[in-house]
Amino acid sequence: MDLIVVTPNGEAFSLPVEQVVLPGAEGEFGVLESHEKFLAPLVPGPMEIRLADGSSEWAAISSGFAEVTSSQVVVLVDECFKAHEIDLEHAQHSKAEAEQELRDLFQEIGDEERRARLESAIVRASVQIDVHGRYHS
Amino acid sequence: MANLRDIQRRISSVKSTQKITSAMKMVSAAKLRRATDAIFSARPYAKRMHATLAEVAAVQLDVEHPLFEVRERRSVELVIITSDRGLAGAFNNAVMKRADEFIAAHEGELENLYLTTVGKKAGDYYKRRRASQLSFARPVGAHVHYLEAAQIAGRLMDRFEQGEVDEVVLVYSEFVSTMTQRPTVVPLLPFSAAAGAAEPVEEVATAAEKLPYEVEPSAEKLLAALVPKAVEMEVFRALLENQAGEHAARMTAMESATKNTEELIDKLTLEFNRARQAAITSELVEIVTGAQALD
Repeated sequence: MDLIVVTPNGEAFSLPVEQVVLPGAEGEFGVLESHEKFLAPLVPGPMEIRLADGSSEWAAISSGFAEVTSSQVVVLVDECFKAHEIDLEHAQHSKAEAEQELRDLFQEIGDEERRARLESAIVRASVQIDVHGRYHS
Repeated sequence: MANLRDIQRRISSVKSTQKITSAMKMVSAAKLRRATDAIFSARPYAKRMHATLAEVAAVQLDVEHPLFEVRERRSVELVIITSDRGLAGAFNNAVMKRADEFIAAHEGELENLYLTTVGKKAGDYYKRRRASQLSFARPVGAHVHYLEAAQIAGRLMDRFEQGEVDEVVLVYSEFVSTMTQRPTVVPLLPFSAAAGAAEPVEEVATAAEKLPYEVEPSAEKLLAALVPKAVEMEVFRALLENQAGEHAARMTAMESATKNTEELIDKLTLEFNRARQAAITSELVEIVTGAQALD
């Protein structure tokens, strides 16, 4: 089975895999070879890629959706970082920054846009930190 | 011989201008390559997105989505996309002229016409002329990022869903080729799955042959996730086209500027040589007449 990850910046990667575990909007789900044709929205979270040799790779993805056919899984997401590509310091820094900004924002009412943006920045950074942790443990 | 020195000074000033314009041309050429690469990189995602969207829409004809809702046109938000910087020929002016035409044609019939500008050029232009209508202005930045496009699109979708505007229209430069950038007006919202596929989607044909999808959790929820992504992608694409067009226009403008300086240098050099020869001739005449006077 092939895993193809496509982002607006181009095809992130494609590789043959044994199984993929994805963060679906309704909870995590795994996809194996010859799965029924299937389409599901994804939320930001860790993606586990199990390779044929039994080892696992991790990647942090943001929201999008997955298109499953019997021979391939196409993951369409805004962003995808493989665990080894993640800059932990940068992620921690941007998370802390967004959290601080959000705390300051709570003093005032309104500005929902900015709040939503900060919240999604926190979620993305948290996922990256999580994936980085799994990769190095 | 002040005249000679003057010409020399002009030649050297034109030469330094030429260095600047040819350097800017090279920089724009490099940036243009990156910008067109970005357009190509975005294509696979856009294609798959449209194919999937078309497929879901085909299976679920009765599915409704707030972003599909067609309302009576009372308030319109016009999104004007330009570059941050000038020196790109008529690139920005062409877009703003197109936007002004749209405004002039529709202002009378609408209750509200709001403007969103992306790019400092449009921002400055409309801040001076239509500050009261300007609802949002932001620069493009050095590089176009998807998440920024998503933010811009998110704000537009919120305004549409809350009923603040009944239509959202984009005005931007379509990147046709290095020589041609075409200002275009494209409706963004209400969204229609067919209109979204501005590029020919070859994969739809093969996708349509496939069996309908098992959809999890439901078609409504899937569409709720899919449609905003498609809208974001439209905005992202417009920003990418604008970016490529900007560099192409600047490259062309700088190329013709460099050519002009070359012509000017040739002309000045000719003038310089003539003046030099005239000086030599008059000096010779002086010497000869001086010698003749002695005889």
